[in-house]
Amino acid sequence: MSALIDIQNVSKIYASADDSTAWALQDVSVQLHKGEFVCAIGPSGCGKTTLLNIIGGFTQPTEGKALQDGEPITAPGPDRGVVFQEYALFSWLTSRENIEFSLRVKGVPKKERRERAEHYLDLIGLRRAADRYPGELSGGMRQRVAVARALINEPEILLMDEPFAAVDAMTRATLQEELLRLWQTLGLSILFITHNIEEAAFLASRIIIMSPHPGRIKDIVSVDLPYPRDRGSPEFAAVYGRVDRAFHT
Amino acid sequence: MSQSPQSNGASADTAAQSESRDAHLRVREEQFLRDLKADRRRQSIRQLSLNILGIVLFLAAWEATPHVIPWMNRLLFPPPSDVVGTLRELIESGELIENIRVSLLRVLNGFIIATILGTLAGLLTGRLQLLQFLSDPILHGMRSIPAIALVPLSLLWFGIGEPSKVALIAWGAFFPIWLNTYTGVRDVPPVLLRSAMSLGAGRVQTMFLVILPAALPFILVGLRQGIGIALIVLVAAELAGASSGIGYMIATSHQLFRVDIMFIGIATLGFLGYVVDRLFTLLQSYLFPWYSSGK
Repeated sequence: MSALIDIQNVSKIYASADDSTAWALQDVSVQLHKGEFVCAIGPSGCGKTTLLNIIGGFTQPTEGKALQDGEPITAPGPDRGVVFQEYALFSWLTSRENIEFSLRVKGVPKKERRERAEHYLDLIGLRRAADRYPGELSGGMRQRVAVARALINEPEILLMDEPFAAVDAMTRATLQEELLRLWQTLGLSILFITHNIEEAAFLASRIIIMSPHPGRIKDIVSVDLPYPRDRGSPEFAAVYGRVDRAFHT
Repeated sequence: MSQSPQSNGASADTAAQSESRDAHLRVREEQFLRDLKADRRRQSIRQLSLNILGIVLFLAAWEATPHVIPWMNRLLFPPPSDVVGTLRELIESGELIENIRVSLLRVLNGFIIATILGTLAGLLTGRLQLLQFLSDPILHGMRSIPAIALVPLSLLWFGIGEPSKVALIAWGAFFPIWLNTYTGVRDVPPVLLRSAMSLGAGRVQTMFLVILPAALPFILVGLRQGIGIALIVLVAAELAGASSGIGYMIATSHQLFRVDIMFIGIATLGFLGYVVDRLFTLLQSYLFPWYSSGK
């Protein structure tokens, strides 16, 4: 099976504030396949966000190749949906208008835009909040809208950069379950960045474990547990333990 | 109320009991909303009456001053009772309204020119580094020149008519509008730009659909400062050389030793500034409802 995203020996250098160099990524290779739910996990400075930014087309690798369907990634585009940590919604647009944004810039007629947006509003269960502004929504609702905004283009892959880091624990658990449901019903491919082991163990079919200074892939763990996963089960604890141990070896 | 403490659980309720409790809760809710509304009404009445009282106290103190202080010259410090007659004359002759009209028109024309040029310059210098570096020293240098210093030059260049006033007002209001737009445009959160790019927006679309609205809070601050400066520059220009307008009215009343007219001119400026600012705020919440909907 050819890879949806193919990262080949990618390195990325940044300049620190004092003009010394830092390797955000050093010789990283990984493939993401269609239909996978991959979590990248690691402490800050491990390059997990840089990896997402390279796949998203926001930055270019210093060395190596980043390919999508065999073609080099050169710029951001609607074929890769992105959900950021927070504050990425357009505060001057309502939920509906945020979700419609990419259709609007593509010139899709208003009626069709509206129908498709309604569909996604239903998927995230926010039809009631369609005409509210982001400032009037809770953190969890905002991230639901952000997911719908990225999904309306039917992207090949959904890139999520610690999307639930800023919401409370109860809401986070709900959002995780909803995301899994969307992943399964829509057949999505997802790269999900997190620093939370439990989140990765609950969501991922594969976990990329990264280590900092320089940013590298330390281990890749396949998680074979069936969904929905039971956070209280011994099998879940075993996955958690395995990821946790990988950080300390 | 008649329930014993043991029958708290819903399963122990009979249908009649739960129905009567629902009715009781509804009554309490209605009562609560009534109290809340009454409370708000009382609060706004209180605010309004204190506002009015403040004005009355101010006028009373003004009226009393020349009576209480014996060496105070009524001609140099006319109380409201003296001014009000003059005010009526000025209104009836149409002189006051005509001067207000002329002055407001100057402010409006100058302000519109400043808004167009200021936001355009802010957008370009905020987004294009080449233009930013190119214009930085010149724009910031010119910004430091008080517009009042240019009044004589403007009179020489554009004459005593309208163009000299409009040009000065546009000049003065341009800088706060440009500077605030520039700051807002430059500091648009990168995550919004990345969102726009990943949602397929091109450069021009990003400019109008994302950068401009994201910078709008800053632009509005600039416009508001611009209005304030426009009024200052207006008066400076009209005091120096004009044949109409509120500033002209103040200048001529000085030569005629008519402090009462001067007072009317000064109060008119305060009143106009207040009304324009209120209008601006109203327009803002009408045009940009999302701006006040929390952050």
